[in-house]
Amino acid sequence: MILNFDNFQKANQSGSKLNNIRIKNLNIFKEKGFPTKKEENWKYTDLNRIISNNLSKLEILNDKKTSQYNNEWILKNFQHNQIILVNGDFVSSNFSFETKEKITIKPLKKILNEEKDFEKIRNYFDEQENSLNALNHALVNDGIFLEIEDDYSFKKPLIIYNFFNKFSENKIINNKSIILLGKNSKLSVLEWYRAESDIKYFNNTIHNCSIQKNAILKKYIMDSNLDNSYNYHFTNVKSYSNSIFENFLFSAGSSFIKNEIRCDLVETFSSCFINALIFLKNQQHHELKTNVNHKQENCKSSQLVKSALLDKSNGTYQGKIYVDKKAQKTNGYQLSKALVLSENSAFNSKPELEIYADDVKCSHGSTTGNIDQNSVFYLMSRGLSKEQANRMLVEGFLNEAIETITEPNIKSLISKLFIDKINKTKFEINEY
Amino acid sequence: MLDIKSLSASIDGKKILDGFDLKIKPGEVHAIMGPNGSGKSTLANVLTGKNGYEIEGQVFYEGKDLLNLPIEERAQKGLFMAFQYPLEIAGVNTNNFLKTSLNTIRKVRGLKELDSLEFLKLVKTKTKNLKIDEKILNRQLNVGFSGGEKKKNEILQMTILEPKLAILDETDSGLDIDALRIVSDGVNALRSKERSFLIITHYQRLLDYIKPDFVHVLVNGKIAKTGCGELAEELEKVGYERMGTDKQTAI
Repeated sequence: MILNFDNFQKANQSGSKLNNIRIKNLNIFKEKGFPTKKEENWKYTDLNRIISNNLSKLEILNDKKTSQYNNEWILKNFQHNQIILVNGDFVSSNFSFETKEKITIKPLKKILNEEKDFEKIRNYFDEQENSLNALNHALVNDGIFLEIEDDYSFKKPLIIYNFFNKFSENKIINNKSIILLGKNSKLSVLEWYRAESDIKYFNNTIHNCSIQKNAILKKYIMDSNLDNSYNYHFTNVKSYSNSIFENFLFSAGSSFIKNEIRCDLVETFSSCFINALIFLKNQQHHELKTNVNHKQENCKSSQLVKSALLDKSNGTYQGKIYVDKKAQKTNGYQLSKALVLSENSAFNSKPELEIYADDVKCSHGSTTGNIDQNSVFYLMSRGLSKEQANRMLVEGFLNEAIETITEPNIKSLISKLFIDKINKTKFEINEY
Repeated sequence: MLDIKSLSASIDGKKILDGFDLKIKPGEVHAIMGPNGSGKSTLANVLTGKNGYEIEGQVFYEGKDLLNLPIEERAQKGLFMAFQYPLEIAGVNTNNFLKTSLNTIRKVRGLKELDSLEFLKLVKTKTKNLKIDEKILNRQLNVGFSGGEKKKNEILQMTILEPKLAILDETDSGLDIDALRIVSDGVNALRSKERSFLIITHYQRLLDYIKPDFVHVLVNGKIAKTGCGELAEELEKVGYERMGTDKQTAI
């Protein structure tokens, strides 16, 4: 075990409910350690090895708090509400475009410190999908609690800035985000990750979302700028009757990231869309693992993952659709397409369908290949250099994922960032 | 303009072009006809620079060795091929592609790159002249296009890029009468004293619309017969077989 828990144990001996939960979960983690490839869900990502190879000095975040961040990282010319987290801690929020009384926003720390409030979120400490969940329950410091009243639609998107400064170096940061949408409410949220250059840390976040009847949650994740961070994000969504969950993931920044998204369609006519763009270079290792659980009739789910891998990068998509025997008339779909652009890069795809109902429509597809050389020839015969042709083909290929975004302003923002990124990328692709 | 000297090309050891000679002067329109497998598309591919052929012989384009030029430089220097089977390229917007292509070529030629507005104006004029629906510009390149739309798109590209030497590889195949007219109007509008065309076709039909200066019959990888426009009509009557076997008539 790399982590030293002595100080942590001393600090959590008060015997409060939260402290008991922390101690219990710490013991679970101590027993299991970081996941290894022996676990089915981690077969393409041996986290234990990744941590010991890259983060051998990992420490628990100490009490020294800092809230400094680069002001230029706040998006200009884009009207939005905002929450700022620095090193996982809640720093500030601004909801100037919204009706304040319709929204409850609190730093999670406040709720953790009030025994009465804590009772309300206690069930979010039950998740035991893997040892990282236990570690998160044990060490969580802060995060976000956001609740939206029934019938309230956000007028502008919310951007959650996740900034990391030099005090996060070699730290493990555990936080939680809890977003609850009341009936008929609507929110578009963009999670934005940015770290000071070359800071190396491990961020372990659990995102809990609840989407009540007829509500719509659109969640966009921009992981484009981080360079040397290691991340595990576990997103747990409960979707009630006729609700919509739309998730788009731009997975291109961190050294390592595993995004695990579970969406339970617990009532009829709810739908879930998970779309992702994975664009990696150097030695980046990104994984997307989804679990879409159709638990009732007439629910719909769709997943589209487009990946392009350069250099020695590694991408993985494990997409699962589970259909309960009660979930008749299910419509489930998933498609993964990957371009493996160098001999040393790899893409793993594992589609899983587990179906217990007999009247369902479920399909999946997965392709992995290189750039079509005839297409390169066609473009070059129009005067484009080989690099221009490759870039244009990769851009077009990945752009299909961006086309799934249904929020026009966010789509053009993400599209612009994507084009900037792709224009800065070298495409010296050889046939192999 | 173009001088091909005893050009041979093989693929996987199989000889397709075998001692092919052809001279094209500025402003000339040459048609190459020939049966399936005679080497017509190979000729177009070799001239454009497609990989995968073992090549012997020489090709001079504007006095310079063409075969050693990279694909894109051939295009930048004014060589254009209208593909027999234009590729469907998912995710690439036709308009963006055309603009990138034109600006790359303009840049090399020392001309100012066009901004989006200037390009839009140009492309609107060209589509209108060619009677091509400008909606194709907002679609993904050739994706879901009908056979006719793909060929019209090739002609649109040719019109915008204004090549010095245009090779049309069976552009007439699979076209209805209206599309054939659009294609041939596009070619005829571009004909000039400086610009040459090499038109590869199976049928004489296209040559009713585009009057060539020379017609060559390609059999077994070399030119079996050369003539003027009437040769195409004669071919239509007697077929290719006699042309190939009757070596005596070869010029």
